[in-house]
Amino acid sequence: MTKIQEYFHTDWSAMTGNDWFGMILTVIIFVLMVIVYFWALNPKNKDSLESHRTMLMDDEENAEKEDGS
Amino acid sequence: MQAKQQQYNFDIVKWFAYMSVVYLVLGTGIGVWIASELAWPVLNFDNPYISFGRLRPLHTNTVIFAFGGSTLMATAYYIVQRTSGVRLWSDKLAWFTFWGWNLVILGFAITLPLGITQSKEYAEMEWPLDILLAVVWLAYSFNFIMTLSIRKVSHIYVANWFFLAMMIMITYLHVVNSLAIPVSMWKSYSIFAGVQDAMIQWWWGHNAVGFFLTAGFLGIMYYFVPKQANRPVYSYRLSVIHFWGLTFGYVWLGAHHLQYTALPDWTGSLAAAISLAMIIPSWGGAINGMFTLSGAWDKLRTDYILRFLIVSLAFYAMSTFEGPVMAAKTVNALSHYTDWTIGHVHAGALGWVAMVSIGAIYHMVERLWGTTIYSVKLVNLHFWMATIGTAVYITAMWVSGIMQGLMWRAYDDYGNLAYTFVESVAQMHPYYAMRAAGGLIFFLGACVMLFNITVTIRKAIANPSEKMAVAANI
Repeated sequence: MTKIQEYFHTDWSAMTGNDWFGMILTVIIFVLMVIVYFWALNPKNKDSLESHRTMLMDDEENAEKEDGS
Repeated sequence: MQAKQQQYNFDIVKWFAYMSVVYLVLGTGIGVWIASELAWPVLNFDNPYISFGRLRPLHTNTVIFAFGGSTLMATAYYIVQRTSGVRLWSDKLAWFTFWGWNLVILGFAITLPLGITQSKEYAEMEWPLDILLAVVWLAYSFNFIMTLSIRKVSHIYVANWFFLAMMIMITYLHVVNSLAIPVSMWKSYSIFAGVQDAMIQWWWGHNAVGFFLTAGFLGIMYYFVPKQANRPVYSYRLSVIHFWGLTFGYVWLGAHHLQYTALPDWTGSLAAAISLAMIIPSWGGAINGMFTLSGAWDKLRTDYILRFLIVSLAFYAMSTFEGPVMAAKTVNALSHYTDWTIGHVHAGALGWVAMVSIGAIYHMVERLWGTTIYSVKLVNLHFWMATIGTAVYITAMWVSGIMQGLMWRAYDDYGNLAYTFVESVAQMHPYYAMRAAGGLIFFLGACVMLFNITVTIRKAIANPSEKMAVAANI
């Protein structure tokens, strides 16, 4: 067994219920994160997401400045 | 006019904002005192009530919960009203959070110096205060969520997402970490024991950093940097990635505080791996904040509030790189249990959390009281004191920490340790004095801020202007 194989060796039979729960949850969270990254970086979604950039600039404080009041 | 007066509840924001500055002075003041105790132990005066062991949790609780918590409540109440276009859902609940939160602060300010503690890092308060804190936190979260539910705009701005993540996660973390069996009014025992207790404590400990001191303050950053710069955030897509990367990733990091302990090896490896992966969203967020100034970097020459906000992002980027490096097992073997950790924490606490808060509070004070700051020169002075104080502090701790780590593991040709522990302590003295000096500079800067803001508010109240009337009516 190489050093890397040894490092990643897992005794599956020794996994407890907690271990399985933790491992499955970790994998699910990781997959969800990857899905969010693809969704956010998909060029199709760029315009709809970036349309919120100016939200803060549109509030009444800026409206007051534009009015000169 | 009457309808306009009802638009926002800024009174609650004003009180929380002012109290956060008071608590910044108190928290850093206690910090300077205990740093001096470490450099000059005679300052303990053989008095148990002011010994390092009792004042240290008072310092951490004051800066985290009193200063940090008050800042988060002021800014969350301000931002959610501004970005939703509605008044807070419940004024009564908001005032309950103000008085309840300050009661928690009073509670730990009395009990911790008396030695009443659960001895859990950043969760020292005994069970009655833990319950009060949970109730107040839930009231704050519920009011925030209900205000969002009645908003006049369809989109929930990203700053509110960060606040929501903080509220949900801190509720969960605080309740689980504080589960204990009371045996008297001021004594309880954790329901966890052994390595499970250690794991739960650091699952809370690191996520108090991740969600209380990072997610909430990122909410502050995503609102106040664009507002102060008067430019839209550089990339909204990047803010979405930043949010989800941070939310999914942070909860796995706690075990990196327990490398080389009885904890299963794989948990430390997992925590170290995800810690390193967290550099990506963290730097994405820092770059997003800094690039918001693209094309307007000249504003930094004249806008000292913006300087606080942008320098805080530089410290955020630095800390979120340093943290994952320290989580890696090879580096952790040197850095763990040394002052390097203290330096890292204060790069984040002083450089990131305090600086972004200070920038946000200066920004809000001008708008809440419809005035301009009493002295821009004092803001400038404060900026340099905060920056230099932080730099001196963390540099002292880096040198001290690395020296400690190297001394502790040095051995001679026969395998004996080259230095005793006491020798390493003696070597730390100049760096502890330097740390106290750095902290003192930062503390004096906070005093300058308290003076400047107090005078600003007093002058605004004494000489009400049309601008102030408009601000009061919003």
